[in-house]
Amino acid sequence: MSFPDPVQMAVPVFIIAIILEMFAIRAGARGDYDWRDTGTSLAMGFGNTFAAVIFGATIIAIGGWLAQFRLLDIPATWWSLVLCFIAEDFTYYWFHRSAHRVRWFWASHVVHHSSQHYNLSTALRQTWTGFFSLSFAFRLPLFVIGFPVEMILFCAGLNLVYQFFIHTEAVRRLPFGLEWLLNTPSHHRAHHGTNARYLDRNYGGVFIVWDRLFGTFEAERDDEPVRYGIVQNLATFNPAWVAFHEWISIGRDVAAADGWKARAMAVFGPPGWRVGTTADSIRAHWKASRPASAPAE
Amino acid sequence: MVWTSLFGIITLILLARALGFAKAPQLADAAEARRVAADALHDFTATEAALARDRRAALVAGSDGRIALVRGFGDRWVVRIVNGAQALASGDRLRISPRETMFPAADLDLGPAAATWAQRL
Repeated sequence: MSFPDPVQMAVPVFIIAIILEMFAIRAGARGDYDWRDTGTSLAMGFGNTFAAVIFGATIIAIGGWLAQFRLLDIPATWWSLVLCFIAEDFTYYWFHRSAHRVRWFWASHVVHHSSQHYNLSTALRQTWTGFFSLSFAFRLPLFVIGFPVEMILFCAGLNLVYQFFIHTEAVRRLPFGLEWLLNTPSHHRAHHGTNARYLDRNYGGVFIVWDRLFGTFEAERDDEPVRYGIVQNLATFNPAWVAFHEWISIGRDVAAADGWKARAMAVFGPPGWRVGTTADSIRAHWKASRPASAPAE
Repeated sequence: MVWTSLFGIITLILLARALGFAKAPQLADAAEARRVAADALHDFTATEAALARDRRAALVAGSDGRIALVRGFGDRWVVRIVNGAQALASGDRLRISPRETMFPAADLDLGPAAATWAQRL
């Protein structure tokens, strides 16, 4: 069983899909683009491919090294591929949840959320610094369990390709109960929201059942349109600033911090901790300020 | 591969522009400026707003004395608290330079109210 690189194979499809979405929006489909925003998103995706080349070999080497301590000898067959895909998505959930709750991980992941648009080009707005925030560490248990290295990388690639297609406003809801099982355009729109209701919700990659299981699910509501972006939206399209702004902010906060606890919180606390705008505090303020007659969550 | 990717990126950017995805936002009225500020700042209760004459920016006062700058960015808005920012009033215009890296200065034509708003910052 051989495993190609799904992302490389999908790149031409990504480009065609973006073109089709642009024309569909012009023909009346829901959604929007801005050429400057799209330019930044594509520049971030372009840079991400270089980062993947530079650091990918190191990550594969670490995985290969860990594989010698594997607990099981899992063969490369269809059933192990299914298991690996589900297990990889499970590790993605925890990576993604940490990426929103721990500033060190957020410093990389914020790049993906830094657009105020939500379209297929937003999917390609990816970090250049994922290696430094150790995002790959969440996947390492799969190597120890004993899934073949190539299979894990293949499943991770499939996960990314799937997630590209859910970055669209053109699709409202999926039929046949798929909204219960899968991370869909609707669920992921909510994930990209800065509304207090939607902040830090729906971390799943392919399957949304992880969020239902661990209490982080929030359904998109038609009576509350999603406001895309981050709590303090950027005011520049400069790709370098998009890539590094949170790291620089961490550095400044550590330098200005009074004591070691404050320094640790500036690095490992939740995003917004220093200025009192964590997702939890924003949600608590929103809940407290809602009228008693507001509809139930 | 690199050149192919670059060609694809430039093609998509040019296509987006050619298809008209290049709007500059305008505020409809003071109520919209207040809503944009309150949506962006979460703990901000907007009380009054002054729109720039071209409706591409506004200053919004909060009930707690804070002043928010609403300005266009691409086809969207960005909002910042600007109390303490450098503010220079000249005639009908007020130039505000927030103390934030990569946040561009805003030049608002507020009419006769420019000097009053400058003092509130």
